[in-house]
Amino acid sequence: MFTHIWKKEIRGELYTWKSMLWLVIASLLFSFTSYLLLTNQELSLLDQTELLWLLGKIMIGVALLIVTIDASSILNVEFEKETAESLFLSPISLRDLILGKLFASLTLWAAIFVISIPYIVVTSAGSHLAWAFMGYVALLGTLGVVGLVFLIFGISLLYRSSKNTITTALIILLAFATPALFTSTLKNDIVSQTFSAINPIDNIFNSLDNVLVDYKTSLLDNWQFLLPLIVFCVVAFLFLFLSAKRFTKQGIIKND
Amino acid sequence: MPDIISAENLKKSYGGNIAVDKLNLHIKKGEFFGFLGPNGAGKTTTIRMITGILKPDYGTIMIDGHASSEKQKIAQTIGVIPESRGFYDWMTAIEYLGFFADLYGITGKEKEKRIASLLSEVDLTKRKHSRIGTYSRGMRQRLGLARALINNPQILFLDEPTLGLDPQGQEDIQSLLKKLNAKGVTVFLSSHLLNEVANLCSRIGIINNGKLVAEGTVSELQEKTKLKDKNLTDIFLHLTRNNQ
Repeated sequence: MFTHIWKKEIRGELYTWKSMLWLVIASLLFSFTSYLLLTNQELSLLDQTELLWLLGKIMIGVALLIVTIDASSILNVEFEKETAESLFLSPISLRDLILGKLFASLTLWAAIFVISIPYIVVTSAGSHLAWAFMGYVALLGTLGVVGLVFLIFGISLLYRSSKNTITTALIILLAFATPALFTSTLKNDIVSQTFSAINPIDNIFNSLDNVLVDYKTSLLDNWQFLLPLIVFCVVAFLFLFLSAKRFTKQGIIKND
Repeated sequence: MPDIISAENLKKSYGGNIAVDKLNLHIKKGEFFGFLGPNGAGKTTTIRMITGILKPDYGTIMIDGHASSEKQKIAQTIGVIPESRGFYDWMTAIEYLGFFADLYGITGKEKEKRIASLLSEVDLTKRKHSRIGTYSRGMRQRLGLARALINNPQILFLDEPTLGLDPQGQEDIQSLLKKLNAKGVTVFLSSHLLNEVANLCSRIGIINNGKLVAEGTVSELQEKTKLKDKNLTDIFLHLTRNNQ
């Protein structure tokens, strides 16, 4: 059943000028970054692995931002445009609706990833890291997107408003992303180190660093970064589950 | 004739406000039931509880022998034009009905046939490839009716289906409803248009302040209220003013 919702979302949400604009923006950002990294006098002096790591961080960061903005409205639009009632009067369940919308968000992430492939190929030319780089961007990005979308859908079911959801989701994304951009020298105290260990974005960046800079490409070498990401997805799913339970209890129409 | 809709002791409140209070409704198969009440009387809340969109605080609902917890079975039995009339404006009528047909598991030739027949019935065949965003209010209402009928429902719930329509639009919807009822579909119509209800419905229920204050045919209501020569408007005003 969720595939019908997924198909609808792809047509109605992804094949739109808004989504195409996001993809063009992502592509321009990747082009600009790659161009700078390869041609700028100082940046081109960076070791290729450092350069790939920087590009990987930008790719996943941009993708998470775009998916956050898109996912914040994808569920709420059904309440705001008053289509939810007709939808829930059909045999569709909330689970199917959420699954369909999750796959739509993953499709957007997949489109961004596909766009990033030529840049990965160009910047990793001559190194043996192209496949590992591509594989880890796909894996880490997917885990990050899934966790984030679960979290955003949970917030959406609580607020039922795109505006409130997007504000909250961006605050959460910034709260995760900003400390991840600090250098490790600024993370000396126990609080920063603990936050860094559980912060999904920190773990994405650290895993990329492990793969590209330290050449530790096997999954076993990266489990300490992958595990917190999986835990983040599980916690976000539990939040969505509780939020969905509350939503079901309240009913599709909150107030009359 | 068995009850196709049975609601016992329904109660729903929002915060401290009681929207529906100990409401009992029994509707027989094939009936054309009119549900009347002033604004805020509890009509929409009652429809939403019966159709499973809202959970009652108290009470039981049975639809064609299914308890309200059997959502999937009830969804296959009923068709609804809800109060909130959102559409996917970027879809065409054919895509919109196709999407809902998919949700009901209607596929292949059967889906095509049903969509074509419904579009013709609601007179939208010529505009089937136009985006819903370009439709007039009347066309949207007719498309909403087509969507409500996509699963060949046994019971049709209509919450103000002719609201905001011109006389021609009202007439079109009313004649469609008459045809459907003649084919055996049970119709539950909530409307503010008392003439519409008087002309179409075999039995009428009047709700006021969340309570069902009267129920019966127009002549039964005349007898109950002792307003023998009066029309439905007078009966309605008498019942709703006296109970405020």
